[in-house]
Amino acid sequence: MKRYELIIIGAGPAGLSAAIEAASNGMQVMVFDENERPGGQLFKQIHKFFGSKEHKAKERGFRIGEKLLKEAEGLGVEVQLKAAVMGIFDDKEISVMLDGRVEHYRANNIVIATGASEKMLPFPGWTLPGVIGAGAAQTMMNLHGLKPGSRVLMVGSGNVGLVVGYQLLQAGCKLEAVIDAAPRVGGYGVHAAKLARTGVPFYMSHTIKEAHGDSCVKGAAILAVDSSWQPIPGSEKYLEVDTICMAVGLSPMSQLARTAHCEMENNPLKGGLVSICNKYGETSTPGVYAVGDVAGIEEASSAMIQGRIAGAAISFDKGYINEAEFATRYEEYQNSLMQLREGMFGHKDKEAADMEHTEEGYILSQSLLSKGYMDAEEIEEYPGVYPVEQRGKGVFPVIECTQNIPCNPCQDACKRGCIKVSGKITNLPSVDASVECTACGMCVVSCPGQAIFLVDETLAPGYASVAIPYEFYPLPEPGSKGLALDRSGTSLGEAEVLKVKSSKAMDETAVLTMKVPVEWSMQARFFQVY
Amino acid sequence: MLKEGSELMRIDHHPILKTFEKGKLVKFLYDGEVMEGYEGEPIAVALRANGVMIHRYTSKHNDPRGVFCAIGRCTDCVMVVDGEPNIRTCITPLQEDMKIETQHGISNNKEDESI
Repeated sequence: MKRYELIIIGAGPAGLSAAIEAASNGMQVMVFDENERPGGQLFKQIHKFFGSKEHKAKERGFRIGEKLLKEAEGLGVEVQLKAAVMGIFDDKEISVMLDGRVEHYRANNIVIATGASEKMLPFPGWTLPGVIGAGAAQTMMNLHGLKPGSRVLMVGSGNVGLVVGYQLLQAGCKLEAVIDAAPRVGGYGVHAAKLARTGVPFYMSHTIKEAHGDSCVKGAAILAVDSSWQPIPGSEKYLEVDTICMAVGLSPMSQLARTAHCEMENNPLKGGLVSICNKYGETSTPGVYAVGDVAGIEEASSAMIQGRIAGAAISFDKGYINEAEFATRYEEYQNSLMQLREGMFGHKDKEAADMEHTEEGYILSQSLLSKGYMDAEEIEEYPGVYPVEQRGKGVFPVIECTQNIPCNPCQDACKRGCIKVSGKITNLPSVDASVECTACGMCVVSCPGQAIFLVDETLAPGYASVAIPYEFYPLPEPGSKGLALDRSGTSLGEAEVLKVKSSKAMDETAVLTMKVPVEWSMQARFFQVY
Repeated sequence: MLKEGSELMRIDHHPILKTFEKGKLVKFLYDGEVMEGYEGEPIAVALRANGVMIHRYTSKHNDPRGVFCAIGRCTDCVMVVDGEPNIRTCITPLQEDMKIETQHGISNNKEDESI
């Protein structure tokens, strides 16, 4: 039986981060992963992450994955792929299925970082080919370059549903609708707004009744539900789709923690059955840790920090770092983690959240929560928008970030200091109208929510320019015409592309500037190619 | 020969990922029909690109099933590959001249009573 100082189960963001932390302190680390490729779900995440610089914000998930792998490799971390861990037994012995054989290993410490599996919603027809998990859609389009379908219905408006919905559009699929039984969009408003302005309808308080088709999905019937989740007669709608994509939540894959006799709890705030852990991620079984989604469903960013904390705690426990060093690192990681858990979508506020106001007292857009986009008048109330009287001087940014989410790359993006996220990282960004905007566009591309626009109402008499983030193929040519869409995806009329800016620093987010009649300057938010 | 849907499902230009690295184009057999796919990509991806949605029929109700989780967890996409049943096509790499058959229950034969 082979021994290691530390065995980590799962080579996703949490497991790799724990491995990197421990190996950088000099520990001998082995990581087992059942998949063909390491990185967990990171390589399917092609969107820019939220958070601050320390959380690797505004970097795309797959690039973070590449960096983690390189770092782990450089530190001599061994990663054994196609290795399914079957159980954790007494004295931290584990059995692993490797190439059709069962091998046994023992470690002084074990980190369980097995992630989560998708929850499902059964309905008539849900076993038909064409009904897939949101993860399946990501796997097919972002890893293998295959559209999962042509016309898709997304069931679930949490961040997974919204992010995958956007990725479907980027892959060239048509997203027919996003539905959710809840009355409010579950994920970030900015993610919903990205879909809504391309014309994707949101049906809140709607559930799926059935999938139609004999041999595969040919359509879906949806219907409205009332406040006690009961179907409303006569509300049925039929959508012609060939794919139904399910994004109805995740459950921690905590089976291995049970085999290790860890004390478990059923915690709805954490997504289901999880092991009870101390602040370092250690379970009730000494030396066995659980980090990332397996310890409670969160984002990849928090999983990476949890991995770091466990890696540091194990290093300290085994004498690889001293107490002072551990205390410093723990404090740094813990602060970073707490930042990510702030805000209306945060871990602690999930149920107690005030859905009427931001923490600063701004009124939350109910339209954003129920339809996926804000009404034009509502925008004026937020601190990221210049007061009307300050707008005649040239280009100004419009930051349509109206919910408390932990994210601040915009303030670093503006070298002139126009944008501030003061106090908590979840506070809404504010703009300083006294700073002259050079229209460099870096704030536009730095915003993972694609919620920053540059407007110039002095372009030409009667005309304004609106610069928008653009992540679709092909990039329109300057001089070409198309439609200016408003936040709901409704066409305002014709717009002309003035320029399209793209550079390596912008990381595949182009800034498209379009010319529109000046009265659309605060409405036009998307450009649709004819 | 391509079925409905066919190669159009492949993403040629992705706005973020650009192109996808693929192995060489190889031939394989699907229920006796010659198809093409890229070596090393999951069998399920090659089948979908050829318009195949149904991977198997359940033993009790003869219901069609296809790809569901695409990460080897749900086992809904299993087929008979080179004579071996219950192969998870979403995580099994395609190889040249592979013989892939629709699975009926746990067999490649509709009439098989043993299932």
